[in-house]
Amino acid sequence: MKALHNPHLPWRAGLGLKPEHYADILSARPDVGFFEVHAENYMGDGGAPHRALAAIAERYPISLHGIGLSIGAARPLDRQHLARLRALIDRYRPHSFSEHLAWSTHDAGFLNDVLPLPYTAETLERVSAHVDEAQQATGCQLLLENPSSYVLFDDSTIDEIDFLDAIAERSGCGLLLDVNNVMVSAVNHGLDPYAYMDRFPVERVGEIHLAGYDETVDGAGERLLIDAHGSKVRDDVFALYRHTIARCGPVATLIEWDNDVPTFPLLLAEARRADSVLATAAGRREPMRRRA
Amino acid sequence: MDIIAIQNAFAAALVDPGQPAPAGITTARGKPDEKRFAVYRNNVAVGLTRALESRFPVTRQLVGADFFAGMARAFIAGHKPASPLIFAYGGDFPDFVAGFAPAAGLPYLADVARLEAAWTHAYHAADAVPLAIATLAGLDGERLAVARLTVHPAAALLRSCFPTGSIWQAHQGDIAGSASFSGGECVLVTRPEFDVRVHVLPPRDAPFAEALFGGLTLGEAAERTAAEPEFDFGAALVGLIGLGAFAGVRMEGG
Amino acid sequence: MNRQTFAFALAGSLATAMATATAAPLPAEKMVGMEKCYGIALKGQNDCAAGAGTTCAGTSTMDYQGNAWKAVPKGTCTTMNVDGHMGMLEPAKG
Repeated sequence: MKALHNPHLPWRAGLGLKPEHYADILSARPDVGFFEVHAENYMGDGGAPHRALAAIAERYPISLHGIGLSIGAARPLDRQHLARLRALIDRYRPHSFSEHLAWSTHDAGFLNDVLPLPYTAETLERVSAHVDEAQQATGCQLLLENPSSYVLFDDSTIDEIDFLDAIAERSGCGLLLDVNNVMVSAVNHGLDPYAYMDRFPVERVGEIHLAGYDETVDGAGERLLIDAHGSKVRDDVFALYRHTIARCGPVATLIEWDNDVPTFPLLLAEARRADSVLATAAGRREPMRRRA
Repeated sequence: MDIIAIQNAFAAALVDPGQPAPAGITTARGKPDEKRFAVYRNNVAVGLTRALESRFPVTRQLVGADFFAGMARAFIAGHKPASPLIFAYGGDFPDFVAGFAPAAGLPYLADVARLEAAWTHAYHAADAVPLAIATLAGLDGERLAVARLTVHPAAALLRSCFPTGSIWQAHQGDIAGSASFSGGECVLVTRPEFDVRVHVLPPRDAPFAEALFGGLTLGEAAERTAAEPEFDFGAALVGLIGLGAFAGVRMEGG
Repeated sequence: MNRQTFAFALAGSLATAMATATAAPLPAEKMVGMEKCYGIALKGQNDCAAGAGTTCAGTSTMDYQGNAWKAVPKGTCTTMNVDGHMGMLEPAKG
């Protein structure tokens, strides 16, 4: 394997970058650890998005979070999309590059959600190969994110954590630990989120995501959490986050707020909340395990 | 089942609300649950509807939120995004609107949608320095006549039988009371730097602008417009170039 | 008009327009200042221009798929008179 560009995010809270906040950020220069962008939103040819991102990248570390690569798809990765990712990485030199353990591309078109896949020997091989291909094509280590899910597959034979760990072992990728996803999936599938967290291979984690979930019930009237990214981080998720940081030490932590985007000060307050947790754990952690 | 079959079944059920959740999809209870699968179906439907709402806000205001949602759903059923670049989704929505029978009573609706599509396209288009009029100043008449102008990557020209620009403008702030519009308009969308601009061109210059956007030479475009008594070649050219409609000039065949 | 005369007329027309444009009392820094006197500038909301982003967020907002809906004109088309036509929408099925 070629040597990969191994970027580092600071052990601080970061925020998702939204066009409605460009002006706030560029004029006030708030103290934020990093800004994360959804890669696909910067795949236009030019204009205001690139101008703003270039200006912000001069002042803050940037994290690139892909949504559309469809690493979990049965079909081959889209070479054109890989080239677009590579171009963004070359241009903005992000300190982190992540994608989802999910799929979204199909002959039916781009199904714009992060869809679940069964965990089997076959999908393990497929996903590992895709991660490897993505890393080679972008020259960048990839952090693979644990999914939130609403259903299970009869075909699954491998535990989710073992699945993620095996992909990381085979491909040399890191992991992105989404604490909200852990809560959402644990509640939806009747698991203990703390037990999940205590088994998670934290030494592979390069970034953490936090977000707010919504709540509804399924067809049997059981509690069903939706990974909605439209509110403050819920108390139970924040408590799980404290537990996680206490266990693994400080990790760059993103506040994801994508629906009903709030004013910048409210978003900043969420970052401060995470920063305070990170500050208590500062200095207790070795950098993420890496492979050359 | 192999992963190809699983994803084919999943995708087929996802895009067709009439289908049950695919076999093999279960819950921790060990029983399938339609409502859980519907979360994915809903995420896709709502996500794409929001994408259209955000790209076509005036079209939506014109028909109201409920009608727009229905029209969006009808469009989405037959038009999934071709790529993960959701900002580009809905480029063919205006054509769909034009053929959407329930909106036939609003013949101007599709052109308003076309203007909105051009707006977002301009916003994300490649950066290019607009052609400066000084570039043409050095050309003699013969060379000027055979020059062709390269359309700026962000620029779009929309010649409408309806007062599309005025309707659009009336929806950029709070609309108070009723409004009355008439006549066709030729609307030019440009983005000379980073801000998208929308202009209603003088009617006498519309055929000329259209000819230049169609790739005709300056001479051909001027000839085509010669019958228009009010037309002033120099004023029209200086005006269009000043708005940032073009990015370059090329001389071919003499 | 022969070809040469026509070409000459084009160049003359352009020269005149450019002279007028430069002579006009526009602030020098307004390179795109021509728009002040050419076409009607419409004011849009640039900040809302990005369009929809791609996002990995789910939603609990429900799309009531398959429900037939009755389109009563609730949009602004009902308050607009375009070429003598008031807005009319037909019921549609979703």
